[in-house]
Formats: sequence, C-alpha cells, structure tokens
Amino acid sequence: MRLASPFVAAVAFAGAAALAAPAAKDTVVMDGVAYQPATITVKRGATVSFVNKDPYPHTVTSAGNFDSKEIAAGKTWKYTAKKAGRFDYICTLHPNMKGTLVVE
Amino acid sequence: MKYRILAAAAVLAAGSAFAQAPNDAQIAHIVVTANQVDIDAGKVAEKKGSSADVKAFAKQMVTDHTAVNKQATDLAKKLGVKPEDNPTSESLKKGGQDNVKKLNGLKGKEFDKAYVDQEVGYHQAVLDAIDKTLIPNAKNAELKALIEKVRPAIQGHLDHAKQIQSKLG
Repeated sequence: MRLASPFVAAVAFAGAAALAAPAAKDTVVMDGVAYQPATITVKRGATVSFVNKDPYPHTVTSAGNFDSKEIAAGKTWKYTAKKAGRFDYICTLHPNMKGTLVVE
Repeated sequence: MKYRILAAAAVLAAGSAFAQAPNDAQIAHIVVTANQVDIDAGKVAEKKGSSADVKAFAKQMVTDHTAVNKQATDLAKKLGVKPEDNPTSESLKKGGQDNVKKLNGLKGKEFDKAYVDQEVGYHQAVLDAIDKTLIPNAKNAELKALIEKVRPAIQGHLDHAKQIQSKLG
C-alpha cells in the first residue's frame, strides 16, 4: 500500500499534465459544426491549421480574404496569415458556423 | 408547395403524438429514415437541379446525411440496437416518396424552387423533432449525444437552404 501512493500521485500528475497541455498552437478544430476556438489570434506570418474532425466537409471562408473550399472529413487545411487584421469567416456549407481569425 | 412543407412538419411532429414515447430502437429508425429521405431527394436534385447552387446543395445533402447515417448505423450496431420500424418512420418514408414523385414531374426553375422550399420545411421539421421528441426520449447516452451533435449540422442545412431560397426569389 505504501508504494501505491507515490505511484497513484505520479499517474494523477501525468494525467493532469496531459489535460493541461494546450491545444496545438495555431490550430482550429472543426467539431460538432463549430470552430474551436471560435476566435484565434496569431502572429503575422504564422500558419494556421484548420482540422476537420466532423464526418462531413466544411469550409473556412472569409469573403475577399481567403477560402479553403471544401475540407473533407478528417482533412486539414493550412493557411499562412500574411496580412494583419481581423477576419470573420464562415463555413459556406453550414453558415451557422462562424469564426474569427485575428492576425497581429 | 406550402402544403408539402406542412405535411413534412406534420409527419415529424407526429413523433410527439406517439401513444408512448419512442424507444431507442425506434428513435434510431427515425434518425436513419429521416436521413435517407433527404438523401433520396438530394440524389434527384443533383441530377435535375438547374442552378449551380441547388446542385451543390443537393450534393452536400447526400454527403452530409450519408455520413450521419453511417454514424447512426455504426452506433446502433455497437449498442446492439436493432432499429425498429414505427409509424413516424413510415410516414416519413411515404412523405419522402411523394416528394420525389412530385420533384420528378418538375424541371428548371420550378424544380429548384420546389426542392429548396421542401428542404427548408424539412430541416425545420427535423429540428423540431430533434428538440421535442428525439433528444427528450433518447435513453442511451451515446444515442442522445449523437443526435445532439448532429443538431447544429441540421441547423446549418436550414440556414444554407434559406440563403438559396432567398436567392431564387
């Protein structure tokens, strides 16, 4: 029993560390027909990954700025943010899906 | 046109008129049937639609609803639930067949408008059924979670269909 405690503590600590680990940097996940996080802020020149975890295609579309076109289920679209500013985007297939990319 | 939308709404609303609340096997059947009805209409519109918007929307409906059905079928298998036919599924199927028959008799702009109007009414009716019948009655947590996760996609289809509807005028 004595040995159990440190072991349990170590496992608990490892678990907590895994939970606390931040989401991959500059990544937006599409899941449950939502962009997560809904707003992401990146440095100019950064490459943002949009990962589609839904079973259906989505798009990342900011009229006049950028458009991923269809990102199939399970696929990732990468966008290099060369222009600073605040860009609202939607999924043209599911227009209730809204996100914002802030490029500093 | 309007009567058909009302018919679709009435059929799904009938879900709440179950003598007894639908069980999980019946809910699974309703989910699969509702998706299949929209896949069938979408396949007709992929071929017969006249505007690019309508054709693209129809293709999306086939893709999205096929994906949902795969998830629902996989989950039913995993849970050992055999989807069980029921009056709501029967009415949905009948309504879907009538709709396809009607669409097959139309073409051009008339077809586009009839299809998109139907899609708006259908997705609204599905949302109502999800909120009033399917989610409240689903007992299995995974089945409930699947329906909850699909809901925003249905909302997205409704919003998308409304956009196309307003463009068609």
